[in-house]
Amino acid sequence: MKQLPIVIGSLNIGFLQTLKLFFVTLIGSFPLGLIIAFGSMSRFAPVKYISKLFVWIIRGTPLMLQMMIIYYFPGLVLHNNIWGSGEMGRFLAASVSFIINYSCYFSEIYRGGIQSIPIGQEEAGLVLGMTKSQIFFKVTLLQMIKRIVPPISNEIITLVKDTSLARIIALQEIIWAGQSFLKGSHGISGAIWPLFFTMIYYLVFSGILTVLLGKLEKKLNYFR
Amino acid sequence: MSILEVKNISKSFENTKVLKDINFTLEKGEVLSIIGSSGSGKTTLLRCLNFLERPDRGIIKVNDEILFNSEDPNTLKEAEIRKKRLHFGLVFQSFNLFPQYTALENVMLAKQLLAKQLPEYKTDKKDILNDIKNQAEELLIQMGLHDRMSNYPHQLSGGQCQRVAIARALALKPDILCFDEPTSALDPELTGEVLKVIKKLSEQNTTMIIVTHEMSFAKDVSNQVIFMDDGYVLECGKPSQIFDNPANERTRQFLSHYNQ
Amino acid sequence: MKKLIVALLSVAMVLSLAACSKKTETSGSDLDYVKQKGKLVVGITDFAPMDYKEDSEEWIGFDADMAKAFAASIGVDVEFVEINWDNKVPELDGKNIDCTWNGMTLTDEVTSAMDCSNAYCRNSQIVIVKADKAEEYNSTDSIKELSFAVEAGSAGEEMAKENGYTYNSVEQQSNALMEVAAGTSDAAIIDSLMAYAMVGEGTDYADLTYTVELNSEEYGVGFRKGSDLVQALNDFFKTSYEDGSLLECAQKYGIENSIIAQ
Repeated sequence: MKQLPIVIGSLNIGFLQTLKLFFVTLIGSFPLGLIIAFGSMSRFAPVKYISKLFVWIIRGTPLMLQMMIIYYFPGLVLHNNIWGSGEMGRFLAASVSFIINYSCYFSEIYRGGIQSIPIGQEEAGLVLGMTKSQIFFKVTLLQMIKRIVPPISNEIITLVKDTSLARIIALQEIIWAGQSFLKGSHGISGAIWPLFFTMIYYLVFSGILTVLLGKLEKKLNYFR
Repeated sequence: MSILEVKNISKSFENTKVLKDINFTLEKGEVLSIIGSSGSGKTTLLRCLNFLERPDRGIIKVNDEILFNSEDPNTLKEAEIRKKRLHFGLVFQSFNLFPQYTALENVMLAKQLLAKQLPEYKTDKKDILNDIKNQAEELLIQMGLHDRMSNYPHQLSGGQCQRVAIARALALKPDILCFDEPTSALDPELTGEVLKVIKKLSEQNTTMIIVTHEMSFAKDVSNQVIFMDDGYVLECGKPSQIFDNPANERTRQFLSHYNQ
Repeated sequence: MKKLIVALLSVAMVLSLAACSKKTETSGSDLDYVKQKGKLVVGITDFAPMDYKEDSEEWIGFDADMAKAFAASIGVDVEFVEINWDNKVPELDGKNIDCTWNGMTLTDEVTSAMDCSNAYCRNSQIVIVKADKAEEYNSTDSIKELSFAVEAGSAGEEMAKENGYTYNSVEQQSNALMEVAAGTSDAAIIDSLMAYAMVGEGTDYADLTYTVELNSEEYGVGFRKGSDLVQALNDFFKTSYEDGSLLECAQKYGIENSIIAQ
């Protein structure tokens, strides 16, 4: 059982990477998704079609592939490795890939949320002399948030598990850490039980998120 | 001088002409009812006055000030239009209250946002916001909603919602208050309380334009009635004349449905 | 729709043009490049006894220790980065790492994609079976009918192919061992250096053992094509072999018998 502290220590380090990637992705993709959503609803045709094309490409291709291209393309083809060497570069490249990928998914959810709000809400704001941005921030935004919390929650839980894809560019998140004991690491090899511990980390974390998101959903139930 | 002058207003959607050369005037303190069958252009006319639709042609004047002239591009700018909208208030058929705000907050919101542009807002913020709140409460009391101020729209009946909506429109003190079929979305037993409020406003000399299907109410409350059909104003006059003695055959036909 | 296809095709074309256009130079000295940034970035995987961690977070092992000493000899720091071994060539070419130093077998595939140092260590592909079957399967003839587990893309897989064995490719050598331990495969083909460390009495796979050596191969260090670091490392190997420090290091990790004279 002297293996346990070694495994837990290693999993903790991996889980910290998982958490970092998770939160950075959310912080980046929430606002970027909104910008893309507005782009795809723009009345200016080029912006609209470029946004839609972008969303199609990103949603239509695997995140794993996007990550490999984003990480290796600059150094291999442009001969300018913007990511540098070392762990930080891998983390940055993974973050950029995840933010881009998840903003596209979020943008579609936002768009659905915005378009599901009755036009009468905007008109009521207009006849009361509000500007378009006042209408968005004071009237539509909260109603939209209420509508998108359930689908966004789904994406967030998916993101928890998707972070493991970053191991393709050797970001050492928790599965990498757990799996290293299969191959042999720290003198422990052929051990499958660390993977069960890895599962527990995921379960606890997604459980906490599910509870918190449920609370948020409940909190927004004060209006309909 | 009339408070409102509407000249040669025309409007098409795609290839359908919805308004065909509409002309009328309205005096301060008077009530104008617009009647006619569905699809006759009544609602579009009201939405043009509130700039929710832009007329293709024509002039709209309030207190002799030109708010809209299809020939003058300066009057067509978005920022200009926003200011000019405030001459009009609009009460919607489906209320369109903001669901995340209480009745009181619904009434205060627009006024609070406008107050932020006042030069003295920074120094007198507290007083200004207090005034807005007092006025809003007064309006809701006037609407008979003194015990409903902190309720959210989904906790109110349709009639109560519509009265909040009326208070919300009145809060900005528009020159002309417009109603777009204010009772059409209500159960019959709830229409009375809304009509009573509108009647009371007319007694206080509020200038109003009402698009309605409530013929007896229109007859009772109006100083002037317009009958619209297929985008035209077919007949315009005193309620007694339109309802009791219509000159146009089409008007007579329309009213006969209601008299049965 | 037509416009969309045109747009897509043009994007693809621009990208591939960019990809083709400058596939030339690694201009300038790689040694100077590393010296100028002050550190040598070594791409590795967790692979005992070459590169691994024991009790601390520090990388140790024969390769790790030699890499540290080499970096010190050219006056730079060393940084170990765990990579996805499948991506070692793009990692090198994209300058994400400066070398792969991880018990890398010098196959044709490897030597054609990178410039490699002189071989410094011998290895072989060795057959692993359950210990109680070792008597039965101790010759190349006797193992023909077995089902093998091999690491995908490894030298072991090459051997299985060459000899016409029935095999399953798994992700890692250790998975191949697990297959044998679990009985899902009869035998595995892995690196002998790894087998010496991981299989047999006193290891995690005490009930497995190694039998037949299928070939012999050599380990080297990989650099970018045209890199002058290759010469620098060969010189370093030579001096450290001559002064005995290389062998001393090998003894520390129990692989002194596999070392190739420099």
